[in-house]
Amino acid sequence: MIPVFGLLAGLAIGLFMHPSVPVWLQPYLPIAVIAALDAVFGAIRAILDGIFDDKVFVVSFLSNVVVAAFIVFLGDQLGVGAQLSTGVVVVLGVRIFSNVASIRRHLFKA
Amino acid sequence: MTNGTNGPGGPAGTGGRRRPDASMTLITSMLERPLDPGYQQAADRREAQGLPRATSYRTPLVIVLAVLTGFLFAVAALSLRPKPTAAAQVKAQLVARIEGFQKQASAQDAKVVALTRQVRDYEALALKQSGSTDLSGQIAGLEVQAGTVGLTGPGLTLTIDDAASTEAGGGAGSRPSSGFEPGRVTSADLQIIVNGLWGAGAEAISINGHRLSSTAAIRFAGQAIIVDFRPLARPYVITALGDGTGMQQLFDQAFAGVYLSQLTQEFKIRSVLKTADALSVPADSASRLEVARPIAPAGSATSTGPGTSTQRNAAPGTAPPGGTTAGTGTDPATSTDSPTTAPSTTSAGNSQENP
Repeated sequence: MIPVFGLLAGLAIGLFMHPSVPVWLQPYLPIAVIAALDAVFGAIRAILDGIFDDKVFVVSFLSNVVVAAFIVFLGDQLGVGAQLSTGVVVVLGVRIFSNVASIRRHLFKA
Repeated sequence: MTNGTNGPGGPAGTGGRRRPDASMTLITSMLERPLDPGYQQAADRREAQGLPRATSYRTPLVIVLAVLTGFLFAVAALSLRPKPTAAAQVKAQLVARIEGFQKQASAQDAKVVALTRQVRDYEALALKQSGSTDLSGQIAGLEVQAGTVGLTGPGLTLTIDDAASTEAGGGAGSRPSSGFEPGRVTSADLQIIVNGLWGAGAEAISINGHRLSSTAAIRFAGQAIIVDFRPLARPYVITALGDGTGMQQLFDQAFAGVYLSQLTQEFKIRSVLKTADALSVPADSASRLEVARPIAPAGSATSTGPGTSTQRNAAPGTAPPGGTTAGTGTDPATSTDSPTTAPSTTSAGNSQENP
């Protein structure tokens, strides 16, 4: 429960502070959000599987975000930023979906 | 994460036999092992050390990261939501202006109708005071013929609509008006049908509530049909006043009726002809003086008369609808070499005439 409150607190801070994101950072935000979602759902599944490890969670979260941002950056430099972004979204989206399916099996036994 | 590629889905997975999908290890591992293998490894390591398999998820690290994640979500949602662009603002302004002008135009139309009625009343009053009753009767008759008053009476309504599916008559040959879909009513169709109705003895005709006066034209702009510069929307309801049954008989046998039945047969254009006892057509609100202006009181009329008449004769076709106020509307046509000299010549002409 406490991490959920932390998530809500982070949401509230972001909504009320309304920080302005520099323009050069904006292309990486959507990919970073998808990567973070992937890490979060992976962590939820690990909790339900009984094998959660906080260090693994933090490292996978940070590396997810960094690698996704790097792929987009590289794609932008090579002129295929949109395609690589699509690839990242597809891969992470598939992972998110199968993790959510596993969470669903844990919670609803169906 | 990319650790799925070097994960357990590799070809060395199951002893001697290669998996049949060994060449698709990336997709296989992505689909079958979506969870980070690090979790499993860490759990195994802890179990080997005699610790519980899972750590608590209430550690400060996790909480800090949760706050960070929420912050990231909020920031991304706020900064990536599409903002109203300048183009959208301009578009909204234009839409508002168009709607405002339309409202204004309809208000002006209503005002014109009211003022016309007032003028007619004053006219009748003046004629009554001058004691000539036959003039008012003559005016009433002319107004009916000119279409400046709404009329009511028996007649027929003809409703024409495009084919139910515009490709219904696709293979039935090409229409003379190429560029249109065959099942679509064109302005030429309406022209022929309206002319047929006139020929059948109609005394007043309106299309979709637009009175056809002697100056009204049925034209097209692109695929839209325009009556008196106002676009029509389908279905097209033609109301014709006159002897309903007699008109129907004449119309059906005439060219226009045959043409309409051909349209229905060949191109599935729908048409319904009905007679009615009480129909009404509105007045033509667009009747206005475009070039002519009423003769001014006797003294000034002689001085300004010749000058303005020559200007009008120079370019009668180019006078805009509102061009009766000043001579500037026709000047570019009279002096073709440079428009800047045009106002000076007319001002010179006026100054000569004024003394």
